[in-house]
Amino acid sequence: MSLKNDKYLNISNSIMNPYIEEWKKNNKKIIGYYCTYFPEELLHAAGLLPFRIRATGNEDTDLGDIYMVRFTCSFVRMTLDLALKGGYDFLDGLFITNCCDHARRMYELFDLKVFNRKEFKEKPPRFYIPIPHVITKEGFDYYKQEIIKVKKEIEEKYKIATISDDDLRASISVYNKNRELLREIHKLRILDAPKLSGSEALQLSMANASVPKEIANQELDRILNILKEREGIKTNKKRIMLIGSVVDNTGFLDVIENSGGLVVNDFLCFGTRNFLDDVEVKSGVNPLEEITRRVYYRMSCPRMMDDHVRRLDFIKDQVKKAKVDGVIAQRINNCDLHGCDNMMFEHELRDVNIPVFNIDRENFQKDYSRLQTRIEAFFEML
Amino acid sequence: MVNREELENRAFPYKMLLEATATMRELVERILPPKALPSLELGLKGMESVFSDCIEKAGEGLPIVGYHFALPSEFISAFDCVPQCMEAISFMLSAILPNTAEKYYDLINNYGHPYHTCSAQKGTMGMSLDNLTDFDAIITPTAPCDNTCASYPFFELKKKYPLILLDMPYKHDEAAFEYYGNEIRRGLEELGKIIGQEPDYKKLKKHIELENQVGKTMLELFELKKAIPCPVENMASALGSAAQIYMAGRQEKVDFYEGVLKAAKERLKAGVHHGGMEEKIRSIWLYMLTFFDLSLCEWLDRFLGMTILFDVFNYNFTEPIDTTKDLDTMFYGMAKKGMEFPMNRQSTQFYYTFIEDCIRFAKDFSADCFIYTSSIACKQFGAVPQILREALKDEVGIPMLVIDIDVADPRITNIKTVKEKISVFAQTLL
Repeated sequence: MSLKNDKYLNISNSIMNPYIEEWKKNNKKIIGYYCTYFPEELLHAAGLLPFRIRATGNEDTDLGDIYMVRFTCSFVRMTLDLALKGGYDFLDGLFITNCCDHARRMYELFDLKVFNRKEFKEKPPRFYIPIPHVITKEGFDYYKQEIIKVKKEIEEKYKIATISDDDLRASISVYNKNRELLREIHKLRILDAPKLSGSEALQLSMANASVPKEIANQELDRILNILKEREGIKTNKKRIMLIGSVVDNTGFLDVIENSGGLVVNDFLCFGTRNFLDDVEVKSGVNPLEEITRRVYYRMSCPRMMDDHVRRLDFIKDQVKKAKVDGVIAQRINNCDLHGCDNMMFEHELRDVNIPVFNIDRENFQKDYSRLQTRIEAFFEML
Repeated sequence: MVNREELENRAFPYKMLLEATATMRELVERILPPKALPSLELGLKGMESVFSDCIEKAGEGLPIVGYHFALPSEFISAFDCVPQCMEAISFMLSAILPNTAEKYYDLINNYGHPYHTCSAQKGTMGMSLDNLTDFDAIITPTAPCDNTCASYPFFELKKKYPLILLDMPYKHDEAAFEYYGNEIRRGLEELGKIIGQEPDYKKLKKHIELENQVGKTMLELFELKKAIPCPVENMASALGSAAQIYMAGRQEKVDFYEGVLKAAKERLKAGVHHGGMEEKIRSIWLYMLTFFDLSLCEWLDRFLGMTILFDVFNYNFTEPIDTTKDLDTMFYGMAKKGMEFPMNRQSTQFYYTFIEDCIRFAKDFSADCFIYTSSIACKQFGAVPQILREALKDEVGIPMLVIDIDVADPRITNIKTVKEKISVFAQTLL
């Protein structure tokens, strides 16, 4: 059964969707965020809807370029551009972390430029959590205290009496279920005859970050059942693992998958990094601490300076599990974090005979033909 | 049996820099009349002394410790070692050995390092690929930027140099200072284990106290810059950056700033600017100078009459570190200093502080304009130019020129283009 016009996957094609509209109609609040290094369960427990900011559908950076120099990430610039054009006027708050130098400055720019527009009668609250760049016990303790502070801020700003431990446990349950469903779907992706394409997987991931989690769980369950029944993709296409910078549009994946590749696995933040592990629920343990523990200690992105080896081992393991023919390591231009991580991966993976194609791109490109030629050439080598 | 030259060659980048600095100093002393450019003479003298000392210590077999400029280098004086600033190697090569650093940038770029990363690390990374470096350990904060976080793991992963990370929070409050203070202490102890030395906190205190002393001189010099005309030559900013990084906690830094202050006081008394030239425009460079051609400083003074009041490495308003109480207090003070250090202050918290600083400086120092060298690698500043420009226009009524550049690689924007842009901008002010 084709998922081509599936209404749930189609949510990923735009920013606004019927679930957001319904949420707003019920006078409920939506909080935008950029980075998955943040405890979504906390917002869910507060009755807020976390919405992952992306630039899908935006092809310009005209307004964004006024406030960010061209030597910055086009993904972040495009999201800013979209926000300045009114694409995020439905937000009732913003959650920023120091995930990278580009995204963290959205705190100031949303404060001074987006939320200052007349469309906002009142400036929505902004929240910030500094995340350590290392994975240590001391770093965890510091991060935990910052999350406790932010919890109090959320309660104060949204006039919530308290976000109780029971609320948090309930949210953990919903989110663990969500991650479990995504893992089940992922298992179908890495089969010898994958049940879904890379583009479909990305669409699922983006939709998942754009709707209430209860809705997401229902839809993922429905889609999982469809996929189980579906014929697998039997093809001679090269099995590819995609790693690197954020990917928020299927255009890029379509180029790969129309050039002779099938993206059977990934290491992306709209991808596997989100659902590898769950929050442990132990009785007597502070649920907020466990939520924090999961976020902090999970499989990292290159913002964690001391964790490259663990990321490398993960990639090697996933290459094996998904029987990957080659890795495409991509970065958005000016992404220093993924750029340098990818540089090391390229050498390290080649040392163990895993072919790697290391490329840079802009977040949106009107013309992919040159990139397609290079990708095709890489596939011919495999 | 390892001979002395082999041991000294572990500090090879500093050997290169010593030769260049010594030659330049000799030339300057021969060509320029006495007191013509005191900051250049004093700065070169100080650097030559530091490099000589480092090479001598390397020859004695002391461990070579690489450090990030974002870590005040007096913190490493707890050890008998040869400290080498990773970024200063690149920038200084670019400054005093034309057409030298580019080879190393290209080496690491060809290895796969993205072109849009910082030359500050690229130079030393390239030299490492060329086996010109030999660190016993490297210590760095996880700040001020993505480039630091992205590039430093290379040294550990590729070159197997032990890497010590001091996690600096990107937020400034009491909890952050306390956390970072513990990180510094833990990091120094870890460094000690690697190089086989116990940290000598008495020695560290002594160097910190020296740095506290020179801090007073620096503040006095800043006050003098408020005078019109400014009695401090532009070149003092360039050499001040070098003093900040190379000479911290050392007598050379005291000598440098006392010498520059003395010259400035003499000019102030005479009511003159540098070299008797007319000061027409007072500029604040909120970021870095063009390291690949520091003669820009003299050109601005002589041909445009444009004073550089200061740049990011020279508006250092950190507080003295209290060494009179216990170690916890000292480390807390070190953390505060480290986080308020040039570039860390601006990068590891929201822009609001930076914008307020700039408005205050513009008013206090009677600035006519700001110049922002928008370095292609500096993403943490990539979102500031427009909101700062608007704030300066609204609050002070002065303009800001933005020049896209790589401060250590002239191939991105060459000095001719830089001078042209500044000249045209200056015309609008006169």
